[in-house]
This record gives sequence, C-alpha cells and structure tokens, in this order.
Amino acid sequence: MPLLELKNIRKNYGGLRAVDDVSLTVPAGAIVGLIGPNGSGKSTLIHLIAGADSPTAGHIFFDGHDVTALSSDQVFQRGIARGCQDPSLYFKMTALDNVLLPVKNQRGERPWYAPWRRFWQDEETAHAQTAGDMLEQVQLRKHYDKLAADLSGGQMKLLEIARALMGSPRLLLLDEPTAGVAPKLAYEIFQQIARLRDEHGLAFLIVEHRLEILLDFVDYVYVMHLGRLLAEGTAAEIASHQTVRDVYFGD
Amino acid sequence: MNNIDIIATIIALLTMFSIYSLMAISLNLEYGVAGVPNFGQALFVSLGAYVTGVTYTRLLPPLAGLEAIHPCGSSLGAALQLRSEIMATQPLAGFLNLALTFVIAAALGGLVGFAVSYVTLRLKQEWYLALVLLVGGEIVRIAVRSADDLICSHNGISGIAGPFYYLDDARASSALFMLLALALALAAYFYSEGLIRSPFGRMLKGLRENEAVTRSLGKGISLARAQIMLIGSVIAAIAGVLFALNTGFVNTNDYVVTLTLDIWVMVVLGGLGSSRGALLGAALIAIMDRFTQVAAIQLNMSGFPIEFNYVRFILFGLILLFMLRFRPQGLLPESPLTTHAHEALRPRQPKIERRR
Repeated sequence: MPLLELKNIRKNYGGLRAVDDVSLTVPAGAIVGLIGPNGSGKSTLIHLIAGADSPTAGHIFFDGHDVTALSSDQVFQRGIARGCQDPSLYFKMTALDNVLLPVKNQRGERPWYAPWRRFWQDEETAHAQTAGDMLEQVQLRKHYDKLAADLSGGQMKLLEIARALMGSPRLLLLDEPTAGVAPKLAYEIFQQIARLRDEHGLAFLIVEHRLEILLDFVDYVYVMHLGRLLAEGTAAEIASHQTVRDVYFGD
Repeated sequence: MNNIDIIATIIALLTMFSIYSLMAISLNLEYGVAGVPNFGQALFVSLGAYVTGVTYTRLLPPLAGLEAIHPCGSSLGAALQLRSEIMATQPLAGFLNLALTFVIAAALGGLVGFAVSYVTLRLKQEWYLALVLLVGGEIVRIAVRSADDLICSHNGISGIAGPFYYLDDARASSALFMLLALALALAAYFYSEGLIRSPFGRMLKGLRENEAVTRSLGKGISLARAQIMLIGSVIAAIAGVLFALNTGFVNTNDYVVTLTLDIWVMVVLGGLGSSRGALLGAALIAIMDRFTQVAAIQLNMSGFPIEFNYVRFILFGLILLFMLRFRPQGLLPESPLTTHAHEALRPRQPKIERRR
C-alpha cells in the first residue's frame, strides 16, 4: 500500500480547471518529483494534499485513510508536513523558536502554567534537545539563536524542513525547496533530503524546477502539463521522454 | 515655582506611573506580543472603575455592619458621608471591600474580554475586534451613563477614598496607596515577562508573525487570542480600580476613547512587544501628564490666554506621528529573548579548575 495515494483529483477555480483527473502515488520512504511548466497545476496539487483547499472531485488517501476533507492542521497531525515556495518562517523569532513552535500539546502553552517556569521547564528542556537534533539534521544547530531573518536563503529552506520534522511527519511536501538558492547550496539541500529519507525513512513529494538536480535524487517523477499528468517514470525515463522534452524544454 | 511640593509630586507621579504601567503592560501583551488590536482598553479600565463605584456604595456599608443608603438623588450627600466615615473609621471593612472590588473587577473584565474576543476573533480579520471594542466601549459608557441608579448617571460617584484613608497623615496614606499600586505594577511586569518567555508567549508571537502558518501547525488560535485578551483585560480592570481610587471618583467622562489612545501612545513609544518598553512609555506619559497639568495651572494663574491642558492632546498626537515615522520599533525595542530552551541548547563552557 502506498503512503500517499491521489485518485482522480480535480480542482476547478471558476471556469478554470487547475488540476484535471490526476492520480499519483508516493510510496513510503521514496522521493517523488513533481515537475511541469509554470501554471501546470503542481502547486495547486500540493495545496490540495496539504489540506489548504479541498478538491472539486477525487480522493486523497494517506496511509489507507481518506484525508480528502481534512483541514490543514488535521492533515499535519496525521503526518503530512509542508514546506512552502517562499519560506513561511517566523522571521522575527530565533531558529530554535521556529522549530519549537510546532510541538504539540506543550504544557507551557497553557496560559495558567506559562508564567511559572517550574511547571514546564523539564518538558521544555527535552523539546529543546529534540529541536537541537532536528537543527543538527540540517546543519543549523550552531545558528540556533539567530533570527530566522538573518539566515541565508538556503538556510531558511533548511530551517523550514527542520521545523516540519519536529511534527514527526512521514511525508514532506516541498514546493521548490531550492528556489532562490545558489546552485551549490541547492545540491546540498537535496543531499540533506536524501539523507533524511535514508536515515529516517521519510517520504518526499517535491515540486522542483531545477531538473538537473532533482533528477539526480528522485526515485520517481510525475510530469504535469495544463493540469493533467503528461508522463511518469524513473528519472532516466523522464529525461529521455520525447513529449516531456517537447513541452518542458521546448526542443 | 516654589509652591510645588516635591514629595507630594513624586508620590503622585509614581502612583500614576504604576497605574499607567498596568494599562500599558495589558495592551503590550494583547497587541505588542499577540497582535490582537485592542482598541477598547478604555472599556476594560472603565469596567474596573464602575465596579469600584458600585462596591463603594453597595458593598462597603454592609461590610461595616451598616445599611447602605441609595447613592444618588436626594440621599446623595448622606451616602457620601456614610462611605467617608466608614473609610475613616473602619479600615478592615475598607480593606475587605477593596479586596472584593479587585476580585469582582478582575472577574468581570476577564469575562468580558474573553467573551468578546472569542466571538469576534473567529471572524477572518482581527481588526473587526478593534472596531467592536472601540464601539463597544462607547456603548457601555453611554449605557452606564444612562442608567440613573448604577453610578448616578452623569454625576458619577465621588468621595471614593483610598484604603489608607483611616490614617491621620494624608501623606502617609497616599504614600501607602502608591506602594500598593507600585507592587501591583511590578507583579504585572514580572508576570508578563514570565508569560512572554514561556512557550505560550512563543505561540502568541507566532500568531502575530504568521497566522496562517501557526494555524496550519495545529494551534488553536482563536482560543489563544481569547486567553491573552482575558489576561490583558484582568490587568486593565485592576488598573481601572486603582485609577478610580486615585482620582477619588468614578465618572463615565474619564473613560472615553482618548484614554485608549493614551495607552496606545505609551506602548508605541516604549516599543511594541517589550515589557520594559511598556514601563518606559508609562513613565514618560505620566511625567508629561504631570508637566502639562502643572504648566496649565501656572499659566492659568499668570493669565495666559490658552488652556494648556489641551496642549497634551496635540503633544501626544505629535509623539505618535514622530515615533511611527522615525522610530517605529519604539525607544526600548523588543529583542530576541533568551528563553529556557535557548539556555538548554547553549554550548557548555568547559569548566576551568582553579589551581591552588
């Protein structure tokens, strides 16, 4: 059974069919790429999976359960975390605070306990250690007390991944994790992603424009065009797919 | 200027500073930290004051073992004399009444703050709350004013003595009241600092910085905002009790929109999100208030043709404009906090053993 399964997803915005009859699967522990020209419906699809919007028709299954109608926070609780195209961090807060915020059911978040540190400090220390480990995963631990706004573009993307990890997800949806990042750093981001898959069995669904990097790391690729699935296959198959080359590279 | 009593001025200043601090700390928690634009601070302060007016006329006499006299109309004078006598001769009844006043005011303020915000903050835009509270404050004020019997309509309740009125020495009694106000302000300051540095404070800042992300992380944002409004309103209502005791009367005229704006000036001046900034803003406004009052009296006596008290409003408007234009972060801006979690992750310095 695949971890994530989309069955005949359709999304209409007024008269526009942004996503049209798309079915795809993400197996557990796999990196799956989602590519296609601008406006082909990739980001809309990520939006729908993350629960930010619900599809006009079709079903989304996660781990065998129908999650189609769930809201974004319910989807997050189930184990699907999302990184956005523009890093949506808390820029005026430190890297550590950014990672600690998503922790569920914190005792110190209850206002009656909050002003008295002794009620929550042990729990907080434990969370901080976990957060430190997550930051270590993406090599940001030494920047834990920097404001998110003071990090580089690539580090912001990594911080977003670290934050997503804090909710102990099983699937990460990443929308252009390397947008606006220098090529060398972009490669490093994907190396971190591959490491997270190898060491923690995380699955990824990644929207990416930089095919030269993406195709080096993915297990499987779906190609979208005008809201429909145009092709699917392994990296090698996609790279040599004539229709994809026509649409995507324009040659 | 030799007719100014320095010690009395200092006592009055510190008392006002404490009361303003409570108001500023309250708004700083609500807007500075959590981003909830409370444009109804005057409403919550006034609730505390109205409760004071009611308890001093209805609760105090029974506490002193006497029968309450209707405070308005023909028995107004008798009722005033009764409460002055009780406050002068029965300190215990006075303290008990004050304690109950604080409890009732805090409960009422908290309840209204929570209820109003829990309903309104579910709307898409938190600025609806600002409008509801701005208008709500005025509606409550006019309603209280129209109620003939509650606090005697436009006459208000006068002769509300502080809890230390029984002392023969007027200066000692005002000094003790100042200490009470200062203690409450300090308690509110440390409470608010603790709150800001807690995981709850972190969540509130997250709400302020990026509501959509915080919601998608599964935080109950309407509840969190209503909770901080509850806490802020309790502090504001307590400030309202002290405000009424300090001026000695409760009148709806004191709780108009300008009071709300004064508190906003304090918080913007000090720095949004910073508790120390709230204290600084309160101190500066208290000093400026005193200055304009004294200047107005002096100028009046010398036959100056302008009522200097109104200069205050021009001054505050200018301060707000200049701050927003040249130093929007405030005089003591919010700084990244070193919370418990940051201390837990700080790399340990290897201990150097001292050689003997």
